Amino acid sequence: MTNPSNMNALSQDEMQRFQKLSNEFEPDVPGPLVSPKQSSHAIAMEYANADPTFATKTSALAITHPMTRIMKGDGNCGWRAVAFGYFETLFNLRDPMRVQRELDRIKSLNTLLDQVGQQEELYEIFVDATEDIFAQTLTAIHNGEQDETFLINAFNDEYNSSAVITHFRLMTSAWMRLNPHRYQAFLSPPLDQYCSQRIETVRTEIDEVGLQALVDGVIEGAGFGVEILYLDRSEGDSVTPHQLSPNCPNGATIRLLYRPGHYDILYQPDPPPVNMAPIVNFQYGMTSNYTPWDQGALSFDVNAHLMSIPNLMADSAFGGMGAPMSPLSSVSPAPQSPYRVSPPHDLYQTPMQSHAQVQPMPPVSAPTPVMPSAPPPMTTLPNRSEGPQIRLNPLVMKPNLSHSLPVTSPFKNSPYNQAHFQNQDFEPIHWEPHGR
Amino acid sequence: MDYTMEDTQNSAPDALEATKLNSSTQRNDTQSVTKRLQAELMQLMLSPSPGISAFPDADGNLLSWTATITGPTETPYDGLTLKLSFAFPNNYPYSPPTVLFKTPIYHPNVDFSGRICLDILKDKWSAVYNVQSVLLSLQSLLGEPNNASPLNAQAAEIWDSDQEEFKRHVLARHKDLDDE
Repeated sequence: MTNPSNMNALSQDEMQRFQKLSNEFEPDVPGPLVSPKQSSHAIAMEYANADPTFATKTSALAITHPMTRIMKGDGNCGWRAVAFGYFETLFNLRDPMRVQRELDRIKSLNTLLDQVGQQEELYEIFVDATEDIFAQTLTAIHNGEQDETFLINAFNDEYNSSAVITHFRLMTSAWMRLNPHRYQAFLSPPLDQYCSQRIETVRTEIDEVGLQALVDGVIEGAGFGVEILYLDRSEGDSVTPHQLSPNCPNGATIRLLYRPGHYDILYQPDPPPVNMAPIVNFQYGMTSNYTPWDQGALSFDVNAHLMSIPNLMADSAFGGMGAPMSPLSSVSPAPQSPYRVSPPHDLYQTPMQSHAQVQPMPPVSAPTPVMPSAPPPMTTLPNRSEGPQIRLNPLVMKPNLSHSLPVTSPFKNSPYNQAHFQNQDFEPIHWEPHGR
Repeated sequence: MDYTMEDTQNSAPDALEATKLNSSTQRNDTQSVTKRLQAELMQLMLSPSPGISAFPDADGNLLSWTATITGPTETPYDGLTLKLSFAFPNNYPYSPPTVLFKTPIYHPNVDFSGRICLDILKDKWSAVYNVQSVLLSLQSLLGEPNNASPLNAQAAEIWDSDQEEFKRHVLARHKDLDDE
């Protein structure tokens, strides 16, 4: 038997070597299997000099979805994006009960694998790998881990990552084989052949039918939505979104960026924190900040709320007298002046005042830095006619906030006090034994 | 932006972590491959399929096996015993094993070095295939060659034109290997 002539040119060993090289050839795709979150501007940069449609769409994308996670384009990127997105979404909910429920649900899908004739001794290693990621997620939640680094590490371990992806592929394939009526119409080969040649294989990229089946059969049961944003040459200034899970419109959503032949994960901006603290802090911040005072920026309304405070307006130092009072003194009382005409101690002993002696601690996270400044310079002390006016927010009147009322005992040591010797309208207080 | 900073801060330790993990990951992978192959061996021994057998090589390395297929009846290979070698990659089953005919064989989809052209051993490989399913596929390939993409064009031609002639070529090429 003679070899064909083209085979004689090379020795058997050389042929074997070349065949081996050819068999083992894998395109060299750089980067990790799953990247950390990065700015979507990188994608916009990639397309900056490309087709204007792409340039426009990617610029818009960088604003609507500021963060991206890049998947390695090794033939599994779509599968990996969904599997990673699933675990990341689950982790972000920080709900151990839900993780446990999901673990139970995913394991219950083993019955689908059995129904389509998969052998347990073959698929159990894939299920184990998935179960291990669930366990890691629970541990991470339990340990209060801040970010998804553990998931990135887990998915960058190629062997385990392949096992998890194989598990997701098998669940999808079983789902499709058990629900052929939903998918056969979209497929040209018979569904069984499609599953064995496109879904169950180790390196076949997911297509639209497969992705829909993955969402229907595996992801939707978690209550997570899946949305694809298509970056293509179609009309429009932004990528075209497509909701794959119309049944889960309001839940957590995994967002995928599709570019022909490749999937990555996209993230919308974080919603503004639903935390009232900064607003409350702003109140404190204002009362502890002298600057607007010096500029006379605050004004004071004697409003119904204020009038309703017992004894407040009854005091000669307040009200129609035009005497200024400081809402600031609670934080930064004026130093005791040795020359001060000492007023009788009971002068401001109103019920409110005893309350006000509980000095509010400025919150640590006050947005306006608390200025540990001295009292306002005397030169800027407002004169009587345009005396500082205070506008009290109704919130201040709420019982739990009343301790932040500007009526505080150190006020009597402030030059804003008419009884203070540095006040422009200084009027010594006369002790009247029968007064009050 | 806040996350950008977070990510930059995280990236360096992550990279370090990844390199540190690699060596231990490698070892775990080998353990996983071994575990999987042991399970396959167990299954082959407990529920053998007629006409096929496989066993790890005597060198104690579970990553290389020798298998045999008995030629199916009503094919030109009827009664012949064909030996094959399996070499499993380190990431098995996420890459297919390299399978070669050791016994010289005349077949449209096998070349003269014993290399096989079969899609499930290449891009259609699935992690749920195993030694048994590969051997069963090869057994059926003996009776149903894929003449659309032959490695041995002459064999494909003769298969289609003259079955008697084909069988003569098969028997001429066949040579039983000594049992080790």
